[in-house]
Amino acid sequence: MSARIPTAMIADDEPLLRRALRRMLGQVWPELEIVADARNGREAVEQFEALRPDVCFLDVQMPGLSGVEAARFIGHRAQLVFVTAFDRYAVEAFAQGLLDYLVKPVEVERSAETVARLRERLRASQGTIDTEALVEQLAERMLKGSAPSTLRWIRASVGSVVRMISVDEIDILRSDEKYTRIAWRGDAGKPADALIRTPLRELMAQLDPAHFILVHRAVVVNQRAISHVIRGGNETATIHLRSRDEVLPVMRNYLHLFKQM
Amino acid sequence: MTANVTSPPSRNPFPIFGWRRLRVLLIACAVLTVLMTPAWQGSYFELVFRWMFIGSICLLIFGVFERWPKRLPRWIARWVLQVIGIVVIIPIAAWLAYVLTTQGNPVPFWHDKQRLAGFGMFTFMSLLIAPWMAVAALIGQINGKAQRQALAFELERSELERKAIDARLRLLQAQVEPHFLFNTLANIRELVDSGSPQASAVLSSLIAYLRAAVPRLHEPATTLRQELELVRAYLDVMHMRIPDRLQFIVHADDSLMTLHCPPMSVLTLVENAVCHGIDPSETGGRVEVRVVEANGRCRIQVVDTGIGLQDTIEGLGTGLSTLRERLQLMFGDAAQLRLISIQPRGVSAELEFPARRGVP
Repeated sequence: MSARIPTAMIADDEPLLRRALRRMLGQVWPELEIVADARNGREAVEQFEALRPDVCFLDVQMPGLSGVEAARFIGHRAQLVFVTAFDRYAVEAFAQGLLDYLVKPVEVERSAETVARLRERLRASQGTIDTEALVEQLAERMLKGSAPSTLRWIRASVGSVVRMISVDEIDILRSDEKYTRIAWRGDAGKPADALIRTPLRELMAQLDPAHFILVHRAVVVNQRAISHVIRGGNETATIHLRSRDEVLPVMRNYLHLFKQM
Repeated sequence: MTANVTSPPSRNPFPIFGWRRLRVLLIACAVLTVLMTPAWQGSYFELVFRWMFIGSICLLIFGVFERWPKRLPRWIARWVLQVIGIVVIIPIAAWLAYVLTTQGNPVPFWHDKQRLAGFGMFTFMSLLIAPWMAVAALIGQINGKAQRQALAFELERSELERKAIDARLRLLQAQVEPHFLFNTLANIRELVDSGSPQASAVLSSLIAYLRAAVPRLHEPATTLRQELELVRAYLDVMHMRIPDRLQFIVHADDSLMTLHCPPMSVLTLVENAVCHGIDPSETGGRVEVRVVEANGRCRIQVVDTGIGLQDTIEGLGTGLSTLRERLQLMFGDAAQLRLISIQPRGVSAELEFPARRGVP
């Protein structure tokens, strides 16, 4: 590992702060190569999956997927460094644990210490410290209030890349033997498909039942994606979606879900 | 707040021979004298003198035990001491009164059957009346004290309440989130480090924002011009921080600039739109501020195309609820604040209050 140039990713939603961190790292860790910039947690996870940098600098507060949530997806596959502006709770949480963190505005001396630690760990190729439990605790603390039991993000492969999909962007989930096929609205709301390795049954248990309903033995639909439902004769109905031409049949057993509200 | 309201009741609230006490004493003596007049065979001077003498001694004892000894053992209450003192002193006072009024007589009054009966009569009637008068006076005093204390307490409480509200309003008006401040400073430092010409302008915006966020004690109402300058300063700062995710525009006719505007009201709506609408959104959005005057009312609309109203977010509404409180204090029911979800996404916050201009 020592022969290889260390690589890093910087995730922050504020462009000037990404630039500032890059500049600062250039001073205290000149050989480090910044291979990726991410503007939010989702991009961070996607970029991480594509480029596998050794170190991830994650801003704690980012839109959509937060830095802490992104860290849960990245896990121990990279050295994690959280970056936060003064935030009593976050700093408290970090100071208690062994997690690396930097406080914005980042001071050179403080970051030099962190960098020295990271370098040491990379040089000894001892891998990451076991941060997963700590990140989990942190996430729990910071997500208090928002229902933690329901799934908010799904990591899915689209072709050869891994995408982070917000459950709000999902239109349909279909069971495909051991996999689940997801129809979602990707970049600029264009319909896209993805495959994930979790069976639909398992996913279903983690999705918010208020938004995701089973309409067929192997089909779950996001209620917010539905444009209208047309009733046919003989107790049948079809679901029409906002952003897709597909029409989904409703199984007789599930018709009661679409009775006049 | 005046100091005497809360000062503890003075230790000796009444002088021993205060006018009110003397008045009561005179009335009591007059009544007793009149009652005894029909059966009285001696001089009226003696009659009046004896009553006055006994009464004064009782009053003296009442007053003395009122302030002496300074501290009493737990097992005896001051009022008990006062009443016992009166009961004990009455026979002595009556005896003295008789001795004084019969000084010239060759026979001491206790050998004179009639005089002795008179002495008994004075003692008996005094014992009958004086302790009750003392108790009545004491009850009156206690009531008066309780009332004064209750009044002082009430005054103090309302004063405290008012102060608490004031303080709270000032505090809320002065809230600058450390998270906002440090993030902004980190951005400005980057501009300075990279030698960007933008640095100075953004720093000016931050200064304008901070200056306004520090309480302005003597300005209960600002003008719309000041408020919108503050709003622009805040939006400029935020635009520097998230240029790819925040666009904004402020529409307001020049003629509206002299309108009165509750300080930090529009800013609260705009901060709310940015913090809860734009910032949590990956794609961001646009904030639009519009001010119109119609039918004597000032109507301010802050529209954002952010993530919209989310019921999961905590803290949404703390800024709004304090704004609502402040509007209630300033305008009563004449001000309105509404939050409406708009399509395809976002929130419209609408604030309406009576339009006023010029010197308040």
